[in-house]
Amino acid sequence: MNMNDFPLVLFTVFSQAGIGLALVSAVRRFATPAGPADQSPGEWFAALALLALGMVFSLFHLGDPLRAANALKHLATSWLSREALSAGIAMACIAASAFMAKSGSGSRLMAALTAIAGVLVLFVMGMTYSPPSFPALNNALPFVFFCVTALAVGASASSLFVSAERAPLVRRILAVTLIVGLVIHLVAPCVWLSGGTVMARTGQAWLASPLFWASVALAYVIPLGVLWAKRSIPVWLPFAILAGELLGRLVFFTQTVHTASNLGGIY
Amino acid sequence: MSKKQLAFFVDSKRCLGCFTCAMACKNQYHQEKGVVWRNVYPLKDSIYPARERAFYSLACNHCERPVCLEVCPVKAYYKRESDGVVVHEQDKCIGCGNCIRSCPYGAPRLNPELHKAEKCSFCWQRLDAGLLPACVQSCPVDALQVVDLATFDRPDVVQYPPGFPEFERLNPSVRFRLPDQPLQFRRNDI
Repeated sequence: MNMNDFPLVLFTVFSQAGIGLALVSAVRRFATPAGPADQSPGEWFAALALLALGMVFSLFHLGDPLRAANALKHLATSWLSREALSAGIAMACIAASAFMAKSGSGSRLMAALTAIAGVLVLFVMGMTYSPPSFPALNNALPFVFFCVTALAVGASASSLFVSAERAPLVRRILAVTLIVGLVIHLVAPCVWLSGGTVMARTGQAWLASPLFWASVALAYVIPLGVLWAKRSIPVWLPFAILAGELLGRLVFFTQTVHTASNLGGIY
Repeated sequence: MSKKQLAFFVDSKRCLGCFTCAMACKNQYHQEKGVVWRNVYPLKDSIYPARERAFYSLACNHCERPVCLEVCPVKAYYKRESDGVVVHEQDKCIGCGNCIRSCPYGAPRLNPELHKAEKCSFCWQRLDAGLLPACVQSCPVDALQVVDLATFDRPDVVQYPPGFPEFERLNPSVRFRLPDQPLQFRRNDI
């Protein structure tokens, strides 16, 4: 297990959690006629804090963090440059939404812009972490995984701020996300088993990893059971889902097999 | 391809698996412990099912469209116009590891002391001085050679032999001559 992976795990999960929280808040802005009355400044500030925390964690995986700003130099072809830029834009949008919500002047336009910026970050992150060297991930799966993380943590954390009459909408978003996440996490490694050597090894590594099953249980199975049994989101559930997503991301970064690991063998 | 593009020609028919090329690279650059720019990979039984063994000596392939250069967020890589060699400028590197994750051939490696990437430079300083790369010069059986793909036209070479991942978009600048298939004697042949 490479220690350099831990900052990436924390960066991706926390920044996606912040984006997810902002997305769910923006969705509520459009889905409910109450509008501003349902907008909690605390929720936007929490989203901002999570994204900022993620950005700080990202510095720890760099060999030379003091020159992190140089990462914006290669926007023409580098998805990592685009990731840094889009995360900065999303952070500015969330900050603007937070301060507008605090002053009671929140607008639908700002919420929509923030949601678009958030989805853009998830897409760019998906492209950044789907290089050709990982056949199992050289596709749309990282983007899908990241969307699931964002909405699962975002919707569950949103329950801490939402009013009682809006809670059913958040519960529906969370339930659908958890079902989609569970299905994808169970199906993807099984599909990989039927791929080439390196892809199949990735499937075997994920399925044999206790961390993978712990993440599936913690992030999807237990929360779905709790939602089904209680018809509400307990205060501890967002933290359980966050822990599950962190374990899952650790599997994503450490158990996915690189093509170079099989040089001299069949591909 | 009309533009000059230097490439390594790996002659597996000749390669003994002696690791002299990898050691010459290490002697030339004194990389940190565990960091190798060139390595010798034995072909696995699934590809070469024989008691004899065959090898590929591999380093950076100085691809026509290098993924390391594309993904580097700080433009620490550039491709030389004069010969197509892909150079990594370590002083620009911020150690994000994106090239290490992205190269399907595993060419860029992490320097654990500097926490920055590094890779085979094709010994471009030696090339500019009219010398061969250290690995090529050291090979005792001429199993590793430098060729210019603009003029290299041998019918018995391949770009993607078994055991070497195929990434057409990158177009790796390396060519291989396959190892001889070992002779098998049956009772009736004797």
